[in-house]
Amino acid sequence: MSSKPTHRVTLRPVQTELTAPAGTALRDLLFAQGVEFPCGGQGRCRGCRVHVLEGQASINDAQRERLSTEELDQGWRLACQCALEDDLVIELRQWDAAILVDESPFAFHPRAGLGVAVDLGTTTLVAQLLDLSTGRVLAVRTALNCQARFGADVMSRVDFGAAKGGEQQLRDLIRQQIGSLIEQLVFAANVPQSEITDVVVVGNTVMHHLFCGLDIEPLSRYPFESEQLGLQTFRPGDLDWKLSSEARVRFLPCLGGFVGSDLLAGILATNLSERDELIGLVDLGTNGEIVIGNRQRILCASTAAGPAFEGARISMGMRAATGAISEVKLEDRAITCRVLGNAEPQGLCGSGLVDAVAAGLELGRIQSSGRFADGASAWELAAPVVLTQKDIRELQLAKGAIAAGIRILVDRFGPSAGELKKLYLAGAFGNYINRASAQRIGLINFPSDKVEAAGNTALLGAKLALFLPEGEDGSFTSLRQRTEHVPLNADQNFQDTFVEEMAFPQSTYA
Amino acid sequence: MAQFEELQQAIIDGKAPVAKELTDKMLAEGIRPGEFFPKAIIPAMDEVGRRMRECEFFIPEVLIAARAARASSDILRPLLVGADAMTAAGTVVCGTVKGDLHDIGKNIVAMMLESAGFKIVDLGVDVTAEKIVNAVREHQANLVALSALLTTTMVNMKGVVEALSAAGLRTQVKIMVGGAPVTDAWAHSIGADGYGKDAPAAVELARQLVAA
Repeated sequence: MSSKPTHRVTLRPVQTELTAPAGTALRDLLFAQGVEFPCGGQGRCRGCRVHVLEGQASINDAQRERLSTEELDQGWRLACQCALEDDLVIELRQWDAAILVDESPFAFHPRAGLGVAVDLGTTTLVAQLLDLSTGRVLAVRTALNCQARFGADVMSRVDFGAAKGGEQQLRDLIRQQIGSLIEQLVFAANVPQSEITDVVVVGNTVMHHLFCGLDIEPLSRYPFESEQLGLQTFRPGDLDWKLSSEARVRFLPCLGGFVGSDLLAGILATNLSERDELIGLVDLGTNGEIVIGNRQRILCASTAAGPAFEGARISMGMRAATGAISEVKLEDRAITCRVLGNAEPQGLCGSGLVDAVAAGLELGRIQSSGRFADGASAWELAAPVVLTQKDIRELQLAKGAIAAGIRILVDRFGPSAGELKKLYLAGAFGNYINRASAQRIGLINFPSDKVEAAGNTALLGAKLALFLPEGEDGSFTSLRQRTEHVPLNADQNFQDTFVEEMAFPQSTYA
Repeated sequence: MAQFEELQQAIIDGKAPVAKELTDKMLAEGIRPGEFFPKAIIPAMDEVGRRMRECEFFIPEVLIAARAARASSDILRPLLVGADAMTAAGTVVCGTVKGDLHDIGKNIVAMMLESAGFKIVDLGVDVTAEKIVNAVREHQANLVALSALLTTTMVNMKGVVEALSAAGLRTQVKIMVGGAPVTDAWAHSIGADGYGKDAPAAVELARQLVAA
């Protein structure tokens, strides 16, 4: 066997040193370090760009298309397009995601044994180990979804699974990852794995299908409806998990379209389906999901809001981590930026983006059409971080889709259902976003006293499902019968409403 | 001349009622219908395209400008007969491919092409290859413009190219493609004739393709 030359890669600022054979794809090397590839490593976005401080990394056409000449000259590269050909020192611009772990109290029916609740997100995973007799959380583990190397959003995952024959690979990856998270949980809590009697997993329809090994082809094309939305129950042996063979593993049912059991869990967590008043629940993730309803009727929809809220496709966008501008405040007509980790500003995360645009509108720097008033192409928030005209356009698309979705669902209830009493914001972003700013940009067109951050409702709902009373197996037949999925793309008013909602309100919601 | 400039401005500003009124008034004053396109509508929409490129205009502004252009051209089209007959720059069959329902981008391209003097046959969204082949045949089109917004549906563009070849129409039409996940490399790989990265680029490309 001939031994290939190897190269050393030093990652900054984490100071990790890696060694790999020449020719190794940088993508594979960095993915193992938690770097994400939003477009699935196809050179279609700028999400995986890295700054090469020392060493050579070749430039190809895809990089020339996505990066400017200056950026290339400065050493910026798309990690997904480079193979290892030299010793490198690389600065990473991506950081671990902030994952919201729910700690709210909840009602439960105690029983013997241990249970695990899993929120299987497109981007992140959260798993909690619970003592089912006391409801106490014994351990928590979080991770980035290891399928993410095959695309950041659900559609690239579907594309890889359905069109490129990767269904089984994605299924095995996620089953192994959750299996190993469970092993870490019992290790951390120092309890016997054999005492786990119940595992409940929630996630969107694509995650549901991939975990359960169901055909995802129907989710790749209009009308994006699968026939197999129901509860799926497994024994540990089916999944190659080392739990007691008596343990029951359930993936809760989906609501329709792409709206999965993460939102079903959200309904349980907010008690939306048992209330007389009209309640809304919005998950502002990569895929914006909306549920509006009361005890009689529930409507749900998903919008391809795009990843702007998570910092993707924003020129200096990044996740909420060290160096990210997470807040922009206005005092005496001047802005001040809060930077996470008390570091030098490096980029803008979703909450900072929403704040910055809200401040720009207040200052009259940004017009309600979204255009910079002085015709500028960028606005420096805190050197070197700027907000560009194109960033504002990306935000307009994302917030327009969500606001239009909410409006269409509320309108379908008509005046007889009364006004929306409460709008819950689920997920990490819903927790960190400044509500006044969200109103200022017209993302949430409701007064502040009606809007509430609800935390990780998917995880809370999954926990509630561990404690269901006898007779309810987790199929939620009656709730699902009352729930209707509204395909927004097919709604004749959607395009017009979407275009209308792209503009920013003239002034703050009164 | 000032009148043409006024009409251009009304279109750029998206003032459909003003555009309509001006068109009626100018016709009443004896301006030939054939003069409106080269002197007002085409330059106005070229300007809209420029502003869109420079991020000054966004989807809402482009849509209302196109609506104003249409308010004017709807009055003019029935009058473009006899000596005023205008040769269309080309006939374009357009649509969003099978499995995909996104139509804002496709609508903007269609409206800009129309304002640039092309005859448009818009088949809408979720359009099968068969429907496109039939429309090309029926309307004797020389251009096909396809849109897809999803990585999972863009593959259906390839099916359209193949169906047009199988129907023996490939030499008669040029095929252009666009949409968020589409790239120049993709256009080449499926045997299309060109890729437009945005609506103004699509108009430019259409002009080049019919001239080729």
